[in-house]
Amino acid sequence: MTKEHRQKVLNYIEMGVKEGAELVVDGRGFKMQGYDNGFYLGGSLFDRVTPEMTTYKDEIFGPVLQIARAKDYDEAVALPSTHQYGNGVAIFTRDGDAARDFAAKVQVGMVGINIPIPVPLAYHTFGGWKRSAFGDINQHGPEGVRFYTRIKTVTQRWPKGGVREKASFVIPTMK
Amino acid sequence: MKELTHFIAGKPVKGASGRYGDIFNPATGEVQARVPLAAKGEMRQAVEAALKVFPEWSSVNPQRRARVMFNFKALVENNMDELARMLSSEHGKVLADSRGDVQRGLEVIEFACGIPHLMKGEYTEGAGPGIDIYSMRQPLGVVAGITPFNFPAMIPMWMFGVAIACGNCFINKPSEKDPSVPLRLAELMMEAGAPAGVLQVVNGDKEAVDAILDDPDIQAVSFVGSSAIAHYVYSRGTANNKRVQAMGGAKNHAIIMPDADLDQVTNELIGAGYGSAGERCMAISVAVPIG
Repeated sequence: MTKEHRQKVLNYIEMGVKEGAELVVDGRGFKMQGYDNGFYLGGSLFDRVTPEMTTYKDEIFGPVLQIARAKDYDEAVALPSTHQYGNGVAIFTRDGDAARDFAAKVQVGMVGINIPIPVPLAYHTFGGWKRSAFGDINQHGPEGVRFYTRIKTVTQRWPKGGVREKASFVIPTMK
Repeated sequence: MKELTHFIAGKPVKGASGRYGDIFNPATGEVQARVPLAAKGEMRQAVEAALKVFPEWSSVNPQRRARVMFNFKALVENNMDELARMLSSEHGKVLADSRGDVQRGLEVIEFACGIPHLMKGEYTEGAGPGIDIYSMRQPLGVVAGITPFNFPAMIPMWMFGVAIACGNCFINKPSEKDPSVPLRLAELMMEAGAPAGVLQVVNGDKEAVDAILDDPDIQAVSFVGSSAIAHYVYSRGTANNKRVQAMGGAKNHAIIMPDADLDQVTNELIGAGYGSAGERCMAISVAVPIG
């Protein structure tokens, strides 16, 4: 998007190498013929990424995909659940029971099952958990109506005229 | 050098602060335009224009407000090519992705067309002798949306679609990196029948954001961006008694079970990891194969 952001992504790739991840595909040398000063960057792929790495904890926001291997299902659920962010997550499987368990347990706001990018449609609501969202109300859908309005509750009576009751000094309760 | 404007009270308004930001062509790295960065007083002008038209707009009946949304949808669809081109020229994403950006925003406009039913309240008859209780949903007044560079059509529409349909007046402070589409959408909303001041755009940086967070007449603020700024917006906005929703960053994982179809999953990971250069809060950034 900008020269500064491109440099920030380059810095993260350099950091990933220093932290000991394996840079399987290095997109840094990419050149777009005829557009040498454009903000282009090739895709990069890291393997053997582990949770202590800064490049794992931070959002890079660039064409960098990282592989963090999990030894079993429990570790795989724990990785996104314990991460500081909780926006989206996806699981790829043919096992309905595993997918159902995953969706129930994972500490993330938007879950995809065999769907890589589970952005809710307009008539549902968008929102992540943990440091991915501050506030209580999701975007658009019925939550959007809730966010942009406030409730007024009216209790009404239309008396027929004349004094019917004496003054009351205690909390009104149903008669 | 092309100079963009703000869009206040239904008109393009030149910046008065003396401060400008550069808008780049991401394909060439060159500066293609400059955008004014608003001072506090310019944000206040927009708030006052919104306050002035709010009584009129909020008393338009919900079916007529929905018709403005229907008109807006048609106008955006008729101008799709121009909007997609404009979006790609400032953001850098491919044209098909720009169309998708506009389309997902339009889907929230379609949802907002249903506002007459969506805003209904509740009614209990006879809660006591001759006593009824009802609740209704009323718009807040003047509200603001601070939107990011990555989806300059979709995210403003997510916010102002519902906000305006509910009867609020909305001020968009879009990313100063690609504000042309939000500006054009505000023009189209007026063509759709919204009175001047219902949808406005004030361009700027931190000074404009702080002006929004501190203005006592802005009732609610919606934000999408990095977690650091989201937290700042939420803290300062709520300290000033506003309702705030602030969405931040992500590190989305894709868990790959041993029984997954690896050929299909590989394609999906490539699309989700590298699409739009990875600049999506719903991009996949970590693949987690098991075993």
